[in-house]
Amino acid sequence: MARRLGALYWIGVLLVVAWGVVQLTPILWMISTSLKPLNRVFDLPIQWIPRPPQWANYPAAWNQFPFARYFVNSFIVSLSVTVLNVFLCGLAGYSLAKYRYFGQRALFIAILSTLMLPIEVLMVPTFLIVKSLGWLNTYQGLIIPVVADAFGVFLMRQFMLGLPDSLVEAARIDGAGELGTYFRIVVPLIWPAVLTLAIFTWRETWDAFVWPYIIITNDSLRTVPIGLQRFQEQYVTTYNSVMAISTIAMIPMVLLFFFFQRAFIRGIALSGLKE
Amino acid sequence: MRVMGTRTTPAELPKPGAPVRARPWLRSAEARHQAWGYLFLAPMFVLLIAFKFVPMVQAFYLSLTSYDLLSPPKFVGLRNFVTLLEDPLFHQSVSVTAYYVFGTCVLIWFLALGMALIFNAPLPAKNTLRTIYFLPAIVPVVVYAIIWLFMFHPYGLLNVALHGIGLPAIHWLTDTRAVLPGFILAGLWRFVPYFMIIYLAGLQNIPHEYYEAAAIDGAAGAQAFGFVTLPLLRPTILLVMVVSIILMSKVFTNVLIITGGGPDGATRVLSLFIYQTGFQFFKMGLASAASIFLLFGTMTFTLLQLRLFRDDARG
Repeated sequence: MARRLGALYWIGVLLVVAWGVVQLTPILWMISTSLKPLNRVFDLPIQWIPRPPQWANYPAAWNQFPFARYFVNSFIVSLSVTVLNVFLCGLAGYSLAKYRYFGQRALFIAILSTLMLPIEVLMVPTFLIVKSLGWLNTYQGLIIPVVADAFGVFLMRQFMLGLPDSLVEAARIDGAGELGTYFRIVVPLIWPAVLTLAIFTWRETWDAFVWPYIIITNDSLRTVPIGLQRFQEQYVTTYNSVMAISTIAMIPMVLLFFFFQRAFIRGIALSGLKE
Repeated sequence: MRVMGTRTTPAELPKPGAPVRARPWLRSAEARHQAWGYLFLAPMFVLLIAFKFVPMVQAFYLSLTSYDLLSPPKFVGLRNFVTLLEDPLFHQSVSVTAYYVFGTCVLIWFLALGMALIFNAPLPAKNTLRTIYFLPAIVPVVVYAIIWLFMFHPYGLLNVALHGIGLPAIHWLTDTRAVLPGFILAGLWRFVPYFMIIYLAGLQNIPHEYYEAAAIDGAAGAQAFGFVTLPLLRPTILLVMVVSIILMSKVFTNVLIITGGGPDGATRVLSLFIYQTGFQFFKMGLASAASIFLLFGTMTFTLLQLRLFRDDARG
């Protein structure tokens, strides 16, 4: 249809490409700045490919704060939250989709209603609860409250409703047992949903700022996002170092995106359903 | 009358020492089925009680108290709400949030739809382009904030671009009138591609036959858009509207990092107001009261969203 429109089509192509350039420019500027000496950061005209590139900015920025530690922390927290959340959401979703029991509907609605509570609303009381548990500045404080997220329950339930009941019944009758049926029959069939939820949860956790920012003051427990924020505490902003470390921080996300593009986009599209 | 009941014959009563009879309730397949159901739900549900339901109740309770973390909470009735309603800073915060949310959303609705319509046509290198568009949406939120802090710098890329087209530089971070438009620009950069993807999904769901039928009836171009695309895209458009409002009202991290709410409170959005009241001034009660306001705001839109989804599912 569009091809017949001729001129209009090429204007469209032009717009689409121009928009791509606009979207990409700030990121390219960040990367380019990360390779400049500090006193040339704001030179005009902009030198997109710095000559010579200051690769030394990277190790310098990396060592300015204990970033290796921050990455390890982010990794521990994201992995734990993802595994626990996907596991528990899967079980709960399975329970809601393939079992029948008293109060099921009320429980489902109660679970669904928690999706309406943004962290900004709960941050004061959750902080107080975590404080009273003695979990400030701990891994469990970073992990457990974040696992309590019902979005995955909803997602898993929706996917499992699509599975025929007869399949689950047949497995049960064959004596697979309740857990066996779940792990050997149900999980392999909804694997795309599991992957989507896992990537989605990983991304949200890796990116989380508000919660770690509130409960972590101990430097050795900082995650990457609040570690990055430390550059702000400095008297003089060393733009090239900040940009170097930001570029590094972006890499895990970009890799994840390239390897799992479909699941990633599906996950992003789903995040709108949340809160 | 008890003779009528034959259920509790002695033979069916549990015999001492007979383990299978010890829990007759679990003997029935139906009961066992229910028990497994509860068991699978329980771990998640317990977590939700501890970290969602209890905090929610506590937020309501705290909103009626005065609490500074040091001495125990003191009940003050509705005084926090009165304080908020009389507080010019709270008023400012509400209007700043509304400005940011609606400013960003209205632009998103149109820009994302426009881009999706273009992108729906057969274009070269589509996948590469889509990946490029998407990069801003996947950079970590702190990196997003840092990039835009740098963009807003007096000698940053925005002012370089303005200079390039012969316009005067703007003090993005210190001019109270420029700072929110700046944030809206940043929001568009990050979120337009995201909503374009949602629109695209909706566009691709429109059966091609409808366009063919419209073409036979002599409708093409703008007419086909008005009579076929728009009406059939209605559910997607509503979805985008609601989701974007909810998503934009969650703005926090970038404001905290870029301006910290300044200049002069011009970017102190509601979530930042709550954070500062609670964790910088240690007025937990007042912060909770403000969060109740935010809750009712987002809840309205979330209910609307759930309703749309239900209508959507019904077809």
